[in-house]
Amino acid sequence: MDIATYKHDVWGTEVIRGVSWDLLWLVVVAAFLVIVLHGIYEARQERGEQPSSDGDRIQRHQKIDRIFHWIMAFSMFALLITGILPIVGVNFAWLSLHWISGLILTAIVLAHILRSIFVKDLKSVLISAADIREGRDDSKKPGKYSLAQKGMHASVTVVTLVVIVSGLIMFAMLDTPWWDRTNSMSESALGWTFLLHGLSTLALVGLISLHVYFALRPENLFYLRSMFSGWISKDELSANHDPERWAPDESP
Amino acid sequence: MASFDVMPDVQLYQPTELDDALNLADQLGDKGWLLGGGQDTYGWLKDRAKHPQAMIDLTGIDTLRGVREISDGIEIGATTTLREIIRDERINRDYGLLVSAANVVASPQIRNVGTLGGNLTQDTRCWYYRRGLDCYRAGGNTCYANSTESMNREHCVFGASRCVAVSPSDTAIALTALDAKMVIQSLQGERVVTAEDFFVGPDTNITSMTSLGRREILTAIRIPSKWSGKKFYFEKVADRNVWDFALVSIAAVMSMDGDAIADSRFILGGVACTPHRLRNVERAARGKSLSEESADALASLASVGADPLNYNHFKLPLMENLVRRAMRA
Repeated sequence: MDIATYKHDVWGTEVIRGVSWDLLWLVVVAAFLVIVLHGIYEARQERGEQPSSDGDRIQRHQKIDRIFHWIMAFSMFALLITGILPIVGVNFAWLSLHWISGLILTAIVLAHILRSIFVKDLKSVLISAADIREGRDDSKKPGKYSLAQKGMHASVTVVTLVVIVSGLIMFAMLDTPWWDRTNSMSESALGWTFLLHGLSTLALVGLISLHVYFALRPENLFYLRSMFSGWISKDELSANHDPERWAPDESP
Repeated sequence: MASFDVMPDVQLYQPTELDDALNLADQLGDKGWLLGGGQDTYGWLKDRAKHPQAMIDLTGIDTLRGVREISDGIEIGATTTLREIIRDERINRDYGLLVSAANVVASPQIRNVGTLGGNLTQDTRCWYYRRGLDCYRAGGNTCYANSTESMNREHCVFGASRCVAVSPSDTAIALTALDAKMVIQSLQGERVVTAEDFFVGPDTNITSMTSLGRREILTAIRIPSKWSGKKFYFEKVADRNVWDFALVSIAAVMSMDGDAIADSRFILGGVACTPHRLRNVERAARGKSLSEESADALASLASVGADPLNYNHFKLPLMENLVRRAMRA
């Protein structure tokens, strides 16, 4: 199975055309297998009682962050649906929906980055050496985010930035309401852009599948609830986090 | 691009039953190629720009040929030749628009063997694509016809979406004007789509000009009686009078209530990847009589929304004038 597909440019030279979409099935099967194997593994683990959601509440996500998250999620799903369905043979007028969703994602990611740098505590989501040292130590509880959550965030960040930058370059090569397309890019550079866009799309299919799976796992449902409502209970905080390392507001 | 006088090695199947053809189309999938009169096919194959492994010749299937009366209009078999259509008495009497369109397809020799189904499903004539370049339509990632330096005199002014190719079919605009239905068969059964839905633009499917699937066969075209015997206008403007594709063409049908137009359909060819319906002209034409005054009033509507490329601005006045001439007739 190839990673890239190739074509001949107008001068007859072989250049990259884009990603080999056969890889899509590999990613889908791999994500499915990881989910099934993890599900079996977790089902065989003995679990204590789940922490209660009753009692005092702690704010985990501010409203603005929840809005950012869900706009990102909807635009990301819109991009995946409009981008992948035509590849698997479902034909519809997808291109405008795709780039409009892409521009929304770009804007919201940019806003999120600026807010994270200048308003929020960026370090709380960055992977530190201590996180890696303590990753396998069950006696240590994490701060606001676990190593797995930080890893997922870092992976999605890198891949999303690649898909956005490559998508914006491809967008510049289209006719839009604001400009007419040009053939200003070499076919070789265009092929690399398509390849990066395709590879990052495939990575997002895998990462988002895992993100949705872990968000829906019973022991993590309180995180999903907090992404809607903003709060977790004190009991959930103490069962999953170290209050010494994360001291959130108590007024959601 | 390699160009040869001879055909490449390709298997030829000549079924005489539709079921056999459907089975072959299903088995061969992307490797198969449906063959009507071959007037579009042989160029592709001789230029080695398409590489099917097998051809399924549909012209030996009797049920796909001929003109039949149906409860609401007529049904024309997909492998009926253009010459047979031109000579058919019923079509001449009731649907002269189709005869006018078929009569200007290519040359007499090509009309003798070219089929209605083949004319409708032929591929675009964009020469960048026909030359075998890996453009969007060929599955690539760029359009060679849409840039500041491209030669795009014949390309589209409406409905571009990465690809700027136009539909080359003369009969497509006539059948769209007549609100024809396309009968499509596959092993899964029959489906019927309107001509407007049959032709698809690059925004929907950039590698195909129709909604016909790889394992499907266009078996017949049904023309409803709604426009039978009504007022028709067809005109094709091309660089040559014969053996050429339309720069711009028009097919119009009008239902008259006395001197006034009660209902109409105006379709342009050569300006978009699909037959381009002028709904604004149709709305404005309602209640108008055929006159110089109406012609002038409606003509400018034809080019509303057009987005010409570098070398095809001339199509705008051309389509306006064709609407003007249709309204004068």
